[in-house]
Formats: sequence, C-alpha cells, structure tokens
Amino acid sequence: MRNVDDLIRKALTRRKFMVGAGSVAALSAVGCSHNFQPQTTPTNPVTTLTDADYLNFALNLEYLEASYYLIAATGTGLSAADMGTGAASVTGGAQVPFTSAIQQEYAYEIAQDELNHVRFLRSALGSSAVPMPAIDLVNSFNAAASAAGIGSSFDPFASFDAFLVGAFVFEDVGVTAYNGAAPLLTSTTYLGAAAGIMAVEAYHAGEVRSLILQAGTAYVGYANQISALRATLGGGNETALSATTVVACNPTNALAYARTPSQVLNIVYATGDGNATSGGFFPSGLNGNITSTIG
Amino acid sequence: MATTETLILDEVIASSRRRMFTMGGAALAGLVFGSTTKANAQTTLTDTDYLNFALNLEYLEAEFYTLASVGETIDQIGIGIGAGTAMTGGGTVTVKPSGVASCKVPFAIPAVASYATEIASEEQKHVTFLRGALGASAVAQPNIDLYHSFNTAAAAAGIGPSFDPFASDVNFLLGSYIFEDVGVTAYHGAAGLLTSKTNLGAAASIQYSPNQASILAVEAYHAGLIRTVLWGLDQATPAAGIAAITVKISNLRAALDGTNDDDIGLTKVQDSLNGTTANYTASTIVNADSNTIAFSRTTQQVLNIVYASTTGAKGGFFPNGLNGNIS
Repeated sequence: MRNVDDLIRKALTRRKFMVGAGSVAALSAVGCSHNFQPQTTPTNPVTTLTDADYLNFALNLEYLEASYYLIAATGTGLSAADMGTGAASVTGGAQVPFTSAIQQEYAYEIAQDELNHVRFLRSALGSSAVPMPAIDLVNSFNAAASAAGIGSSFDPFASFDAFLVGAFVFEDVGVTAYNGAAPLLTSTTYLGAAAGIMAVEAYHAGEVRSLILQAGTAYVGYANQISALRATLGGGNETALSATTVVACNPTNALAYARTPSQVLNIVYATGDGNATSGGFFPSGLNGNITSTIG
Repeated sequence: MATTETLILDEVIASSRRRMFTMGGAALAGLVFGSTTKANAQTTLTDTDYLNFALNLEYLEAEFYTLASVGETIDQIGIGIGAGTAMTGGGTVTVKPSGVASCKVPFAIPAVASYATEIASEEQKHVTFLRGALGASAVAQPNIDLYHSFNTAAAAAGIGPSFDPFASDVNFLLGSYIFEDVGVTAYHGAAGLLTSKTNLGAAASIQYSPNQASILAVEAYHAGLIRTVLWGLDQATPAAGIAAITVKISNLRAALDGTNDDDIGLTKVQDSLNGTTANYTASTIVNADSNTIAFSRTTQQVLNIVYASTTGAKGGFFPNGLNGNIS
C-alpha cells in the first residue's frame, strides 16, 4: 500500500504542478515583476481542480488565521462546531497580555473577522468542507524566526507588539493567496466573495503594517526579516515595510501581488523543498486536494 | 510521459474528484444562475467602459493626494490627463480660493506626511497603469471639484457648513476616508472585478480581472491604513470627535447609494467571538458585511456618492460628470 500511496501522491503532485505553473504564467502576464518563471507552460493547466478545492484551500488558511487571532485575543481557539468533524488540534498559543483597551479591541475585531471567514467558507462548502488540520503555533514561529535571522525562538503571544509581528506573517500572505487563487474559480459568486475576503485581508494588512510602524524600529526590523524570508519561500512578491511603503504592492504599477497556491504552501509549510506536503504551521499538511508544493 | 500505471492512477484520481465534485455540487449548483443574470445585464458595456469608469475615480484620488502631499496637480508633475495618450486636454481641478499650492497640507505628524506621499504615488501609478492599459481609448480627466464638493458633503453629513481636507493632518485623513472605502466597493462591484469580456462575443461571461482585483487590494490597504490612523488619533484625543465624523461620512455614503446599511464608520461594537455572548468590545477598522466580506457597490451607487446625489445627478466631485460611457 505504501508504494501505491506514493504513486498516487506523485501523480497528484504532477497535476498540481501543472495548475501552479499555469497560474504563475498568468501572473507574469499581468505584470507582477517578482514571480519566478516556470520552466514549461502546460497547454491546458486548469482542468483537474474544482472550486471546492480552492475554497477548501482558503478554508485551511482561515483556520490558521482564526486560531491564531482567537487564541491571542481570548486564550481559546475555534469551537468544535467551527472546526468540523474530525478536526485536529492546535499546538501552542496563549492570550496576549494586552496593556490597553485599544490593543484588545484590535485583536477582538480581527479574531471575529477571521472566524466569520471560516464560517462563511464552511457554509458555502457545506458537506464538502474539510475539517481543521493540525496547526502548530510554537515550532512554526520558532523555525521562522531562526530562518529569518531574528533569533532561535519567537513567541508572538508574548506582547501586543510581538502579536503584530505574528499577524504580519499571515495578512500579506492572505492577500496574495486570494489574489492568486480567485482567478482559478469558475463560480462568479465565489469570485465576488473571494475578492471581498481578499479586500478584508488587505484592510487587516494595512492595519497591521501601520501598527507595526508605531511599535518602533525593532519590530519593523522583525517584520522585514519575515518579509525577506517570505520572498525567498514564496517567489518574491514582497514590499519591505517603511513609513512610505505601508502597502505591499508592485512598485512599478502599484498593483497588489498574487501568489499561486504552491507559493503560498511554500510559505505556510516554511520550506524551500519543491515537493513538500507538510511543515511549518501545518505539521500534517493541509486538508483537501491542494496540499503539495510543486515538484 | 504517462505510463499505463499512471494512466490508471489518473483515472482513480479523476473518479475520486468526480465524487468530490458531486458532493460539493449542492453548494455550487444555485450559483451559476446568478452569474448568468449578471452577464446579461452588462452586455452593453465593455471592458473599456469599466476601465474608464475606474480611471475617472483614479484621477480624482490621484489629484487629491498629489495636491495634499506636494501642492500640485498631477499634470503639473508630468502625468497625462488628456484623452488617449495626450498629456494635455483634460479637465480642470477646482480647489480652495487660496490656490493649488495652498493645498499642500501643513502636516504636523511626520508619519501622516509619509502616508500622503505613499498614497499619492500609488494613486498616480494607478492612473498611469489604467491609461496605459486603455491606450487610445483612455478618457480625459473630467472636471474635478475638491472645494465645493467637500463643503457640500460636510453640510449633508451634518459635520458643518464647510470642510477643508487640506487644512490639517486629521482633515486630510478624513478626506482620504471619504475616498478609500468607496474605491474598495467600486472595484469590488461591477466597476472593476466582474467585467464583461466582449471578445467572447455572444458567449460573453463575467470574468475575474486580476489587474483590477489587484487595485482593489491596494485600495483596501489604503483604507485599512487610513482608518487605523484615524482610530488611533480618536482614541488618543476623544474630545476631538474624529470617529463620530467618520460615522457621519459613512452614513451619508450609505444614504446616497440608497441602501442605508452598507457602510460602517469607526466605532465600537460587541462581538461574540468563539463564545455565545456578545461581550467582546471590538473596533471597526474593517468596513465589511456580516460575513466580513467587503461591501460592493454598483456603478450607479458609486456615481451617487461621487456626485453627492441620491438620483445620480452630476455634481459633487465631478461637476460635469464622469467621462466615458458610465456617467
């Protein structure tokens, strides 16, 4: 059975490579300057994955964000009803020791927003919704901190400012993930919803990036070390944070970046491996049919 | 190349996908009809029309931010405003009697000055990008009013008889607030995202426009930034009543577009989070619906707001209307 499983995995990986490469080709056409180029361009790339696959891909990312923000805001993650039958668990995380009402209110708001996204996607998917996969909020951040050169460990739950850096890890990625995956959807209604969720992730990203500027140069430095790491893992598509570059966008035309699902997986799996199926924030991989970085 | 073995595996995978699709079909089935309806409704307008609609809005934003950051109009800094590729021939910009140069905001907060510089640059690039995409089809800048428009809006919103968005940091941020959420809803709505692909002829269908979606995201970054900064200032100096003004602006926009409920100002709300009781006091940096999906507006609703008219009569920021086929 093991060999058969491997063969199936490889076959899936090959198909997903085609999907990913097609998206990259499309992005190149719209002028994003930092996407890596696929070696080959398949002639008919998007035929095997359905809207439900892409929505489940987004749902996995929303589980991660909602878990992070809910635990940071309240000390407790998603309720059982919001995780789905057969959900795995979250490792780590704790309520952030907020020192002012405004800090707490920011955290509550984003937590509710991401929870609403989980609920919206689960409702849209109905019985096709995948349950929450295993999520790691400890080793993931430590490994990212180490890879980014921040230090041997990083606890985003230690303070409000650290929480902002943890949020920074997710929000710009959310924007690029929706911007890259939305064109692959066929349902107009889902296109509109995906664009609307992307806009909300961009509101969050604008908020988080401006609050990190207020947190001071040390935290801006951490954010930019994370940004550099994401650029390495996720095909460029980054704008370093500064007082005059709050928005992450292509400096030539001020269009937001987009990432293929594979590029997003490379970031959340925290791997440069071209054939990974798990790691980083998702130690057992995503649930659903989009789980592997391209081969 | 594919071996017999992998072909068999492909069939296994395809079969499982079909099963999965069937399971997911219930959620997807009803949605096809919605897209068909929208496609039919928009068959008379082309991509060019929607891009030009967006270009009009970008002219407005770029002029506002450029005036605020450097005290010049965009043609003065070398951006074309004429029809097609012509640099000149665009409409005028009406500003306060003290003149264009006086519109440079006397920023007291360096960060706000930086934000103005950044957003001006990005809106200028959007103008240039859209003009480049439209080529000879680009409409000229229409006449723009950044003086009477703000005074009228202030009166209509109940803020006061006049409002100068170039007078101070906070006023500049409030002026920005007026534009950015509207930009998000416009690009999210029919104006940008769901364009009719005329090159598909009779089979015209609504498609995702990656370029305009990418502009949508940038407008949302701007809105998130502006709203966060305004909220921070409000919370630091509650007596100034900054958040209350944003609520009035949001209410005005919602009244102008006819919905009365698609715009949320800066305030506090009670959320339930992962519990069952709404006892978490949260901010409202994000302007979105109950699913936390950004609002969207039709072109007519956007026109009502920028014309400051519930009936869509020309006026407000565009005293002679927009240029192009959506006006």
